[in-house]
Amino acid sequence: MAELKPEDMKDIQGFVMSGYAHLTCVSYTLLRVDDMAAARRWLENLTNEVTTSEGKQELSCLNVALTHHGLKQLGLAKDALDSFSRPFIEGMSTSHRSRILGDADANEPANWDWGSNDGAKAVDVLLLLFGKDEQTIADLMKDQSAKFTQNGISELLTLAAGRQPDSHEHFGFADGMGQPAIEGTFQTRDAATRNVIKAGEILLSYVNDYGKPANSPMVSLASDKNGLLPLVIEGTTEDPSTRRDLGRNGTYVVFRQLRQHPAKFYHYLDEATRKANGELDPEASAWLAAKMVGRWPDGAPLVLSPDGGNPALGTADDFGFRDTDARGFKCPIGSHIRRSNPRDSIGPDGPTAQITANRHRILRRGRSYGHRPADRRIDDGVDRGLHFLCLNADIERQFEFVQQTWVNNPVFGGLNGEVDPLIGNIKKADPNEDPNKCDAIFTVPADPLRTRVHKLERFVTVKGGAYFFLPSMSALRYLASL
Amino acid sequence: MAQIILTFVTRIKPDKVEELRNLLDNEIAKHLLDNPLLPFPSLTRLHFASLVVTEDKTYGDYLVFENNFDGPLNDYLDELYRHAAVGLHRIYSCCVDYPATSASDRARTLAYLRQHIVRPNAYHIGNLGRSVERTKREDGLRDRVEAFLDGVVRQKSNDASVGGVRHKVQGFTRAFPALAWAAQAEPRQTQMERFIPRLKIGIAAVIALVLLPILIPLLIFWVLVLRYKEKRDPSPASFDINEHVGNLVEREDRTRVVQNHMTSITLVKPGSFRRVTLWSLLWLVNLIARTSDKGELSGIPSIHFAHWSMIDKGRRLLFVSNFDGSWENYLDDFIDKASTGLTGIWSNTVGFPRARWLVLDGARDGSLFKANARDKQIYTNVWYSAYPSLTVQTIDNSSAIREQMFASLDEAATREWVWRF
Repeated sequence: MAELKPEDMKDIQGFVMSGYAHLTCVSYTLLRVDDMAAARRWLENLTNEVTTSEGKQELSCLNVALTHHGLKQLGLAKDALDSFSRPFIEGMSTSHRSRILGDADANEPANWDWGSNDGAKAVDVLLLLFGKDEQTIADLMKDQSAKFTQNGISELLTLAAGRQPDSHEHFGFADGMGQPAIEGTFQTRDAATRNVIKAGEILLSYVNDYGKPANSPMVSLASDKNGLLPLVIEGTTEDPSTRRDLGRNGTYVVFRQLRQHPAKFYHYLDEATRKANGELDPEASAWLAAKMVGRWPDGAPLVLSPDGGNPALGTADDFGFRDTDARGFKCPIGSHIRRSNPRDSIGPDGPTAQITANRHRILRRGRSYGHRPADRRIDDGVDRGLHFLCLNADIERQFEFVQQTWVNNPVFGGLNGEVDPLIGNIKKADPNEDPNKCDAIFTVPADPLRTRVHKLERFVTVKGGAYFFLPSMSALRYLASL
Repeated sequence: MAQIILTFVTRIKPDKVEELRNLLDNEIAKHLLDNPLLPFPSLTRLHFASLVVTEDKTYGDYLVFENNFDGPLNDYLDELYRHAAVGLHRIYSCCVDYPATSASDRARTLAYLRQHIVRPNAYHIGNLGRSVERTKREDGLRDRVEAFLDGVVRQKSNDASVGGVRHKVQGFTRAFPALAWAAQAEPRQTQMERFIPRLKIGIAAVIALVLLPILIPLLIFWVLVLRYKEKRDPSPASFDINEHVGNLVEREDRTRVVQNHMTSITLVKPGSFRRVTLWSLLWLVNLIARTSDKGELSGIPSIHFAHWSMIDKGRRLLFVSNFDGSWENYLDDFIDKASTGLTGIWSNTVGFPRARWLVLDGARDGSLFKANARDKQIYTNVWYSAYPSLTVQTIDNSSAIREQMFASLDEAATREWVWRF
């Protein structure tokens, strides 16, 4: 079966191996394909500019991904379109996917700015531009957008994002650590063993953590006139004599625009921790925020540093919950980092639990957008938040599982009726439901007695989102050749 | 009284399939809690129920009515008929050989149901010995105590010891006459209920020992035939299931992902060898499962009621499960925690990923296993849960809180008890 080789780096888009942390400015452009033939020409030219995983680009990088509709607009044949995974075919905004993802009430796709199945908001192509500064990005954008209209491409929306100087997100917490590392790549250099995953957890057609090749979309041999695509690998049910592998060295990208409401968040924390005499308690407020996140603002995990921050532990990621904090007295069971990666805590024993948890890892590639507020406690009305992007080979088993079975699960880890306090589907009390089961609580376990805070609000709302396919370089050339 | 799992499996008249499906989907499922035909909430003994229409070209069209209830059977049937006579009559009028001509014909309706009872070959119960009433009461008690404890936290009292907290909770519970029931905790199982399954295993072991000289050559022969057959089983093809899955998921995750339901029917591989193997295996699984009182099925802690029944003279395997969490999570648990037992059972059925030595490989091929599971899964037309927001684990936790409320506990046990909140 196929193993990841050094020469594959030339075929894999650079966004898989790197988040380009050294390039501080980003622009995500959402495009629509209006003219099939012209768009293929555009894609052919664009492919020459696409950054691969080989080497490092100091000034700028460019990557491209497509939705299922986008592939259809380029003229990909039906048998190939049907061979993609179900969530990618359906898109992010069907009613069942909304139930899985917790996109209800304010987060309903009908309220999104982009990405819903509503025709006017649908997206075909995602163009990712990265530059070392604003000027570089502006120049790149100008250059690219000049080519859109003459090639049957229209621009739906451009979303700008940057990286804060200290890589903290808008609630004030360090972000971006706690990543899995792909086996057989440089990513494993500094990674703890518990965080290493098989290539097939991210890249299609490679062996995944089940020891089987990750499902990959296929095309008919006849459609690959120039022989651009690799052969079908062994161990799949595909027929190597009639099919070619479109997915190998590619991956799926999940993109969600998450608007954050820092003023609401801090207001809530302050009110929930008011002293009995009515005074504010800034220390308790900061403590509650850390309990909700599971790390201190400097990134130090509560499991390793329960009493306060510690910059030396800012990127620490080799820890479990089971032996040191089974009850969640340090890091609450319902905290954001414990829900989004329960590590060794859920299962009959530590090693089994860790294996199970690793079936649901995602490679996060998000960036903050919108400038940082002058005072987090004052609502200045600015749209700011996180462009959450992540890569995975199996959207259902990885990203959606995390959302459904961990983040939005009311009974996660033995809890009783609460969801992730930051990104969970926090609902207003429904008079038809048992108030004890839907009062939007968050439990902070403690010895001897837990504290529960009540009436949480939505501190994050979804503004848009879509599932994309990030093709290999060969697959891009194939798509352009259709 | 112990919980009972059974299904009524009846053949649908060929020209009535659509009518029945329409009745189930539109008149019952859409008004699950307040339809006059099957008024589930009035059935005080009923934990979970489902009705499934399944069509098959070879075996014909069946209605599978799954019932998980507090026994005895007679009392449940009484209650069912009392509240749902009209519904039963309308439903079973669509089925073959139904003799009653009006809903008021109690004797014939019940006789018909009894004739069509299929008892499971093997089953699992997550919260053993907890009746519907007890489950709901203990959950309510926990909620009240939780709310009380919120007040205790707000007062920030100095008596911050587990003993102090426990004392306060006991005082709170005692203060309400309406909570007096909490003090008399009944055991989950009687001594006899615990003893008999263990006795059965003992007897089976003794018989096996006595028959060992015959069993060993028989087993060797069985293994040889098994390997011969496994090597010749056709490789399962890829599944074209997108549309089918689209229908299935429409019903899933309705209760905020706390509980879900799954029905599947698989074809047992042809020949009596596989039939006998499967039957024996289920018998063995059931023998052992009867001694499990930890709420887990092969390490899976999230199944309320599940059962396997061999139907059509052992030619098809019906599997029905009421489980916690998402379908993906459930199937992952199968793969990671129970792949041996599960492969042992389902590798005798058509379409399952290729197994070795009955229990190896098989389900460990995650994506093929899931695709096959989806392919064989049947749309559940009607599904009812008496307590949709509770999991096996939360029910157990609430039971433990109640059972130990007034027990004498040492310090370590007191701490464990307080940490249950």
